Amino acid sequence: MLGLPAGVTVMASRVLFRCARVLALSRPLVARCPQDAAAALRLARRPLSALSCSRPERRSDQAWISGSLVQQCRQYGDLPPLTLENIKDRVMYVLKLYDKISPEKLQVSSHFMKDLGLDSLDQVEIIMAMEDEFGFEIPDAEAEKLMTPEEIVQYIANKKDVYE
Amino acid sequence: MAISSKSQVLSLYKILLKESKQFPSYNYRTYALRRVRDAFRENKNVDDPKTLEILLNRAWDSLAVIQRQVAIGKLYSAQKTVVETEGMKKAS
Repeated sequence: MLGLPAGVTVMASRVLFRCARVLALSRPLVARCPQDAAAALRLARRPLSALSCSRPERRSDQAWISGSLVQQCRQYGDLPPLTLENIKDRVMYVLKLYDKISPEKLQVSSHFMKDLGLDSLDQVEIIMAMEDEFGFEIPDAEAEKLMTPEEIVQYIANKKDVYE
Repeated sequence: MAISSKSQVLSLYKILLKESKQFPSYNYRTYALRRVRDAFRENKNVDDPKTLEILLNRAWDSLAVIQRQVAIGKLYSAQKTVVETEGMKKAS
């Protein structure tokens, strides 16, 4: 008894008391005499082990509840699946945000240098913005060939295995 | 020479920008990005190989400085400025 935590002893004594009462009520006539009450108490001692067994069960119950709560709160950082349309929208969005491109002039097929009047430094910055947007590196050798939004979309689609 | 140096300059530009983006401090970060962009634009018509070499050497030195300062800045990171937290709110 002394080795158990305070809560367990309190609970044990409470259960003991209740068991004694139940036994006393179930055998009202006999339980009046003190010897039988003592016997009932002795019997009632047995549930103590049952009680200590039932405790872990309660705890796992609680763990289950908090586990389901955790699952409800959990959010997955996955993006919607990539489609050609989706990639195109994201590429155009990034390009529109770039301050040297005027959104009115921008077309899917417009050439960065010929149509939009950018230089090779701007093109490098555009490729860097695409790397940030789609989260992968574009090697320099391939990056310098990407001169229109169309080509960028096609390149990213190929890299991410997106097909029609 | 001309073509190889062009791609060399562009990749150096990219590396410098990438490294400058790593500055934890807003002030250093924006300054470094602006300075790198301005310096490359300022000298984009340089054709003379000697000047080009001097400029490229300066760029490599600056890259080393930026890398060192980024590492030091990460050791002593400060609180985010108001500008940055406002920007974060708008983005999210």
